[in-house]
Amino acid sequence: MDFPFIKEAISQLFSKSSCAMYPAAESPAAPNYRGRIVYHPDRCIACGMCERVCSGNAITRRVEKTDEGDKITLTFNLGSCTFCATCADFCSRNAIEFTGDYHMVATKEEDLLVSGSFIKKPPAKKPAPAAKPQAAPAEAPKETPACAVVPREDGKPVSDPSKCVYCTLCAKKCPAGAIEVDRAAKTWALDEEKCVACGTCAEVCPKKCIIM
Amino acid sequence: MFKKLIAESAAKSPWLFHINAGSCNGCDIELVSVLTPRYDAERLGFKLAGSPRHADIVVVTGPVTTQSLPRVLRAISQVPEPRCIVTMGSCPQSGNVFRGSYSVAGPLSKYVHVDVDVAGCAPKPEAVIDGLALATKILKEKRGR
Repeated sequence: MDFPFIKEAISQLFSKSSCAMYPAAESPAAPNYRGRIVYHPDRCIACGMCERVCSGNAITRRVEKTDEGDKITLTFNLGSCTFCATCADFCSRNAIEFTGDYHMVATKEEDLLVSGSFIKKPPAKKPAPAAKPQAAPAEAPKETPACAVVPREDGKPVSDPSKCVYCTLCAKKCPAGAIEVDRAAKTWALDEEKCVACGTCAEVCPKKCIIM
Repeated sequence: MFKKLIAESAAKSPWLFHINAGSCNGCDIELVSVLTPRYDAERLGFKLAGSPRHADIVVVTGPVTTQSLPRVLRAISQVPEPRCIVTMGSCPQSGNVFRGSYSVAGPLSKYVHVDVDVAGCAPKPEAVIDGLALATKILKEKRGR
């Protein structure tokens, strides 16, 4: 008599089970798995780029005025998140991190919120009277193309007019809309009130003429 | 005596009923993989029921479209009390990327009380097992009352 696959059947009978014994045995996520979001408010500069690129409207930003400055709270709703990691890709300061933690089970909606807050001090207002005379000589070499551009002390961008081709890419990519570039007049202007010093303009500049 | 025996056995083996409320099929596939031999939720007592009348736990996937809403509510109302409603994935909780669409009536919590939310898009099978374990616990509490 011929039994088909008898060898296979007997060997499988004594082999280990292929079942992942999950609750009894831990099962770590695969490398680069995009699980629970960890937000680092100490790195965030509240440029709002993550909020703009989020497809599921999972990110909300709340601003409260306090004595020390604006208290900015970012809340990530994991119940609305697609875990596409576009926010983390666009974050110029790497303040959003996707971890391998997939245990996201909750009985209340509040349990699925990840939030963090930080106080953004107004740096422009306090040193404003002192900084303005300093800013003026810093801008002066910008107008003379022969001189190399000096990076500013407050971390905001400066464009080198000798290299700049006025492609307007920095103005398009600026999350705060702080840069205005006029192609015809060949001017590059920064709105210091709007600028959050995120560094996106310096990253996208094809000529690398923006210095932070 | 038999009644007590049945009640004790039923607490250890909750049956699932799965409703697809306009899901993209990602969560459905993950839920099926939970029941296959690889993750084998059946060793923990979970069993997929064919009819809502046999079920204890309702698993809803998808953003609850206007087309599916009356059917979802009808199927849920057919599940005998005590029941536990589990939303799987981000869609039934908030609408996810479909939020604001003219054909989306969700989130599900607007219409029925949701007991457990399993987040993820789609959730890992292990997370689904976590959610079902929590649902079993809630079911036990509901029966105890």
